[in-house]
Amino acid sequence: MSATMSRDNIVLRSLTQIGECGLFLLRMLAAVPRSLRHIRETVRQLWFVGAMSLIIIMVCGLFVGMVLGLQLYDVLSIFGGTSATGTVVAIAIYRELGPVVTALLFAGRAGTSVTAEIGLMRATDQIAAMEMMAVDPIAYVAVPRFLAGIVAMPLLCCVFCALGIFGGHLVGVTWLGIDNGTFWSNMTATVEVVKDVINGVLWKSVVFGTVVSLIAVFQGYTTPPTSEGVAYATTRTVVASSIAILALDFVLTAFLM
Amino acid sequence: MSQRPSYAVGTGLFIVLGFTALGYLATQTTSVANTSRGPSYTVEAHFANIGQLKERAPVKVAGVRVGQVQSIVLDPGKETADVKLAIDNRYSQIPDDSVATIFTSGLLGDQYVGIQYGNSKKAVADGGTLALTRPAQQLEEMLGKFFGAGGSADNLSGSYQVKARFTNVGALSVGAPVKMAGVAIGSVQSVKADPVKLDAEVALSIDKKYSQIPDDSAAAVFTSGLIGTQYVAIQPGGSPDMLKDGDELVLTQSALQIEDLIGKFLVSGSSSDKKDASSSKADTGSKH
Repeated sequence: MSATMSRDNIVLRSLTQIGECGLFLLRMLAAVPRSLRHIRETVRQLWFVGAMSLIIIMVCGLFVGMVLGLQLYDVLSIFGGTSATGTVVAIAIYRELGPVVTALLFAGRAGTSVTAEIGLMRATDQIAAMEMMAVDPIAYVAVPRFLAGIVAMPLLCCVFCALGIFGGHLVGVTWLGIDNGTFWSNMTATVEVVKDVINGVLWKSVVFGTVVSLIAVFQGYTTPPTSEGVAYATTRTVVASSIAILALDFVLTAFLM
Repeated sequence: MSQRPSYAVGTGLFIVLGFTALGYLATQTTSVANTSRGPSYTVEAHFANIGQLKERAPVKVAGVRVGQVQSIVLDPGKETADVKLAIDNRYSQIPDDSVATIFTSGLLGDQYVGIQYGNSKKAVADGGTLALTRPAQQLEEMLGKFFGAGGSADNLSGSYQVKARFTNVGALSVGAPVKMAGVAIGSVQSVKADPVKLDAEVALSIDKKYSQIPDDSAAAVFTSGLIGTQYVAIQPGGSPDMLKDGDELVLTQSALQIEDLIGKFLVSGSSSDKKDASSSKADTGSKH
């Protein structure tokens, strides 16, 4: 059967994956009420995917803000518009860099570990053991990690953005000598709550968090129970998440503009 | 079990940190930081020219923000722009003879409406009008006055296609806006060099709505700000007859060349070079 299908194998396989992924999402949503009994497990996962990712997110946010400040100062000084540095740093981070870079880092830092953990549970028959003990593995393993990802992403994104602004301020004001008052007043005059913070930071990061967690949990849960299978699943999590994030970013931007 | 408090505390810290960051982003770096979105009242002002004033530009008294521009509309048939200003209720004591002026923050900055208080005892009410206004200053007009160049303008015609001839269109391109009182009413359809008269023939297409433009109105090529794009400004005349399709604007004012102005100013002008350049441009045009 696999030989006859070899031509449309990729198309069929991707379609199957997408379909299974959607069905898996429905199973998880149905299991959300049951998993409320395991709320402590959700908090523990929030610690793993959220709080443990905090350091890398903060460091990256700081450096992204710093390099933006440096580059923009350089270009804007051609037009004598260096006072707009703060505005452009804030808008670039809120609308695009914050959610996208945070989501990519989140997929690399938390998504892979979720996939590998669930994949190894599957490979070492822990999931089968849970089923035999009448513990629903979807409610106990999958849903807490999924929910934790959805909650953690917006929070991480806010921290990333705040550190990015701080980095831009550090380079622009402290090192390159833009006036402190101008930096802030230009920023506050242009940046808007709904358009930039709610639509940019919050909406995008919630959607990205949902997609990355779904892909990570799904890939782990459906891993072939071999060490090779776990390796492939982890890779697929990163690849699929990155593509999904960047493609969805365009769609979301078009919708939210 | 003894391990539980450690991660619970860490997770709590993480959540608090995230929400603190969100609160900081939303309140300290956005327009929330400098606008009190309290109740406001609306005041109208009519400007002869709004320049690059945009909706939601700030309204300031003594340099302090008291409200924002709510809407900008060009009344069809009139050559003034109706600007509605939403002013914070806290500042309800603005005298009704105050002067509204359009200012620019710095040379290249955004424009805003500045209100200078008058002496009247009566405050302007909700829905009232500030009768005294000063329009945005056009750099070309000021330079023109300064060098005695500008002044007279050309004749324009109707709501559709109007022609205007300029000795120099500067960098005016097809699709550039045609503005009256600073509000766009049409666009430039074509820019051609006339092989016989050796000048530039510009076709303007103007929105039918604005069919009440006197036929002795003037067309001038202006620049938006110092480094902006060029556009055609129409300065209404006083004739009782209105422009019609196919008419020609007789009074025109060409684009001011910064080089020319500086040359005149420094008396070492290279005007002969420029004339050669423009006539050879016309020649090339005629060969096509």
